[in-house]
Amino acid sequence: MAELGQATRRRWGRPWMVPLVLALATSGWLLAVEGRQGLARDEAQYFRAGERYWGWFEALGDALRAGKPGQAFSRAVVDSFWGDNHEHPPLMKTLYGLSWRLFHRCDCTGPKRGLHPIAVHKHRTLPLFARESTAFRFPAILLAGLGVALVYGFARRWVGPWAAAGAAVLSVAQPHYFFHAQISCFDAPIAVMGLLVALAYWKSLRSPRWGVLCGVFYGLALATKHNAWLIPCFLLVHHLWMRRWDFLRLRPPRVPLAFVSMATLGPIVLFALWPWLWHAPLARTREWVQRHAQHEHYNFEYLGQNWNLPPPPAQTGRWLLRATFPFVSTAFTVPATTLALAAAGAVVLARRRRKNAASDEPPLVNPEPPEPGARASWLRPGADVDLAPGIFLAVQILGPLGTLALPSTPIFGGVKHFLTAMPFLAMVAGMGLAWVTRQAATLVRAARLRRALPAALAFVLCLPAVTETQRSHPDGVGHYNLLAGGFAGGASLGMNRQFWGYSVLPLLPWMNAHRPASNRIYWHDVLHDAVMMYVRDDRVPVGIGDVGVGEPMVAQSDLGVVILEKHFAVYEYLHWDAYQTTRPAQVYAHEGVPFAVVYQRAAPPPRQEPLPP
Amino acid sequence: MRLSSLLDADSFRRHRLAYACAAGIVVLALIETANAWLAPLRAPTDRDWRALAAEVRAGFQPGDLIVAAPAWADPLLRMHLGDLIPIAVAGRLDAARFGRIWEISQRGARAGETAGGHIVQSSRHGALTLRRYERPAARVSFDFVAEWRRAAVSRVAADGQVSGCFRAPGSFECPELPARSLKPELLEIDTSPHLALTMLPTGQSTTVIEFDRVPLGRELAVGAGLHNVWLRKAGKGTVSLRVLVQSREFGRIEAGSMTGWTLRKFDTSTLAGQSASVRFEITVDDPNSRTLGFAAEARS
Repeated sequence: MAELGQATRRRWGRPWMVPLVLALATSGWLLAVEGRQGLARDEAQYFRAGERYWGWFEALGDALRAGKPGQAFSRAVVDSFWGDNHEHPPLMKTLYGLSWRLFHRCDCTGPKRGLHPIAVHKHRTLPLFARESTAFRFPAILLAGLGVALVYGFARRWVGPWAAAGAAVLSVAQPHYFFHAQISCFDAPIAVMGLLVALAYWKSLRSPRWGVLCGVFYGLALATKHNAWLIPCFLLVHHLWMRRWDFLRLRPPRVPLAFVSMATLGPIVLFALWPWLWHAPLARTREWVQRHAQHEHYNFEYLGQNWNLPPPPAQTGRWLLRATFPFVSTAFTVPATTLALAAAGAVVLARRRRKNAASDEPPLVNPEPPEPGARASWLRPGADVDLAPGIFLAVQILGPLGTLALPSTPIFGGVKHFLTAMPFLAMVAGMGLAWVTRQAATLVRAARLRRALPAALAFVLCLPAVTETQRSHPDGVGHYNLLAGGFAGGASLGMNRQFWGYSVLPLLPWMNAHRPASNRIYWHDVLHDAVMMYVRDDRVPVGIGDVGVGEPMVAQSDLGVVILEKHFAVYEYLHWDAYQTTRPAQVYAHEGVPFAVVYQRAAPPPRQEPLPP
Repeated sequence: MRLSSLLDADSFRRHRLAYACAAGIVVLALIETANAWLAPLRAPTDRDWRALAAEVRAGFQPGDLIVAAPAWADPLLRMHLGDLIPIAVAGRLDAARFGRIWEISQRGARAGETAGGHIVQSSRHGALTLRRYERPAARVSFDFVAEWRRAAVSRVAADGQVSGCFRAPGSFECPELPARSLKPELLEIDTSPHLALTMLPTGQSTTVIEFDRVPLGRELAVGAGLHNVWLRKAGKGTVSLRVLVQSREFGRIEAGSMTGWTLRKFDTSTLAGQSASVRFEITVDDPNSRTLGFAAEARS
């Protein structure tokens, strides 16, 4: 029995075991619930693009079989596949397409054949998932699991295993993060990639091998989403602080390997992964940069106002109000206990060196002191100095939030725009958890009780975040925390409830049952690509109608969806006018807060087109 | 087992603040967890809504107003009672003309429309509270939107040349400015519904809308704003609505992208009981993407 216990302890003692379990548990949780999550507007475009990108690999295979591999690399062929959705880099979309190809349950040659963006044949697949959309989402879900494992690994450098595991759980148990972690978009993936680059940078401070890897990871981050542009800036701030004495002595150190690597390997990896750049790298990179540097300000509700233009500085009140957006949003969306733990962790970090100076118990299990006798070089730029984890984490958190605080920055995606800060916030919360545990341990005399404390407190302090996240599903972006008053409190505060038109999913069964004879359906913000994926997922019938987008289309419909965002009010009134009623036929609400409505014309005009079989 | 054998009292005395903070976080976690489990139970159920709707229907009288508090619950209210909320009521100028107001409230919220009323009926239906307020209603002697056909519409060019607009079945049409008709329409102004007279102002002329022999009361209420969230974003101009009674200017409303629905009440008590001409003059500095909507009522 004792041997069995020792063997179990040995297994758990392996450094990869806990992160592996955390990653699998996270991916399992996401896979278990993603089916209740409607298809997001952008996600539907990435389904389409991912499938197209896969189409290029099929074209490459065909060209190789024909003995003319060069054909697949011609500009016309490359652009015909990779030109789709070229405003975003391809890494995740390529993975989504590959995952779809491998894991969907193929009924591609039946009535759904025409719903694919590329020509399809009967596929031989490993049909892991009942829905095609799940197959697309699978890489994002796996990456979210990897993110949790990375948080554990990173946090483990500073805190014990239970606190690190707590940090890992808190990193995904955030309603808004959880929402983005299960869909095939780029926001959770870039948060994971940012974490990967930051981890590599941190290790590169004392290991040249990681300096090289930092550049490779940075290339992957660049190929994931344009948020990656800012990563080196945040890391640079830390580096300048860490080596501030060199600069003050006017003896600036050489540029560290990690930055050299990011500047060289990063673009090379990006270029290699993005065929759309191959034939015009400079012009198309410029186009990509300009697209996001001059991005339109889409509508977004914040504190009761609709924001769709940057407020000019002359409107001081509005300008200042807008600047509070990322901070207020964080305060209202991250579970309150996680915020309290993060505050405690911030105090621990702020007092870290003072505590070390006194011969008190160190607040961090591994403060990574300077190596005795080591000399700094561009290969090991942190060898002889304190690594300043507090500044490192502060910049990783406040950098993305500070960027979004600039009123000239669009805020239409809400928390997702600074989601990259959340894994680091969770790590600081993990330090807070370690501090609470240590306080409790100093108070408790009973040895058995003291041994149980780390696990018990990790459980108790992670429970609210997990419970809130479960409660929020599938409307994580409309969820607000205890401080804001939950869904209803957020709505009363005038905080954004949703975007991307995903919330139509619960209405689909009713819409199927009440599909008008004319088949004229107005889908509002539910993109046609999303409707087609609902068909492919067998959630709406083949041949379901779609009158198209735009205000005039409402009058041509007999059944219409309206996604309830503040700026979409006009679409409700168009339905009132066209259907001559203010009464929706169905409302989808979460905890009494409406998210989407369906209007039905009382007496549809005579059938004008036959229903497809 | 004694507590002192479990806990170190000396340590507690030395680090009270730290322990209090740590304990506070644990208590917060317990509260937050309990709230996450219990809060969904506080939301109104479909059964609550049905029971409440049945009571409203039993006591509803034509001309009553039904409102939700908080306003975000309005779609659910309309799903259950929308047949009692016609478009004209939903797109009202304001709530002054309603003497009986049904308020469906949750979480202690109060609807602004009930201000000045007293509760004559109240009941609870699960998480919902139904209250009927009564108050003296404004008597509308002339509704300019409903009576839009009685208007005379013209354009006055910068050089003073006047060109008349003719009345078509559903609108006034101005021959020299096609697609700039004047008509009553349900508009989205400040993301709220307003049944209003709508027009696209033109930069080269003043649009004049004149109503003759309007029976006036003690006040003339005028509301105005710019229609459509996309147009408000795209345009920059300010539309000016000048209000004249018997050729005397009573005031003006400036409508820009950020001004929302502006409601002004002009004192006409000196003319109460008389019939007078009421004239609205509309100008704009930059007509690009500007669609004005305005409504007005003469009231006692």
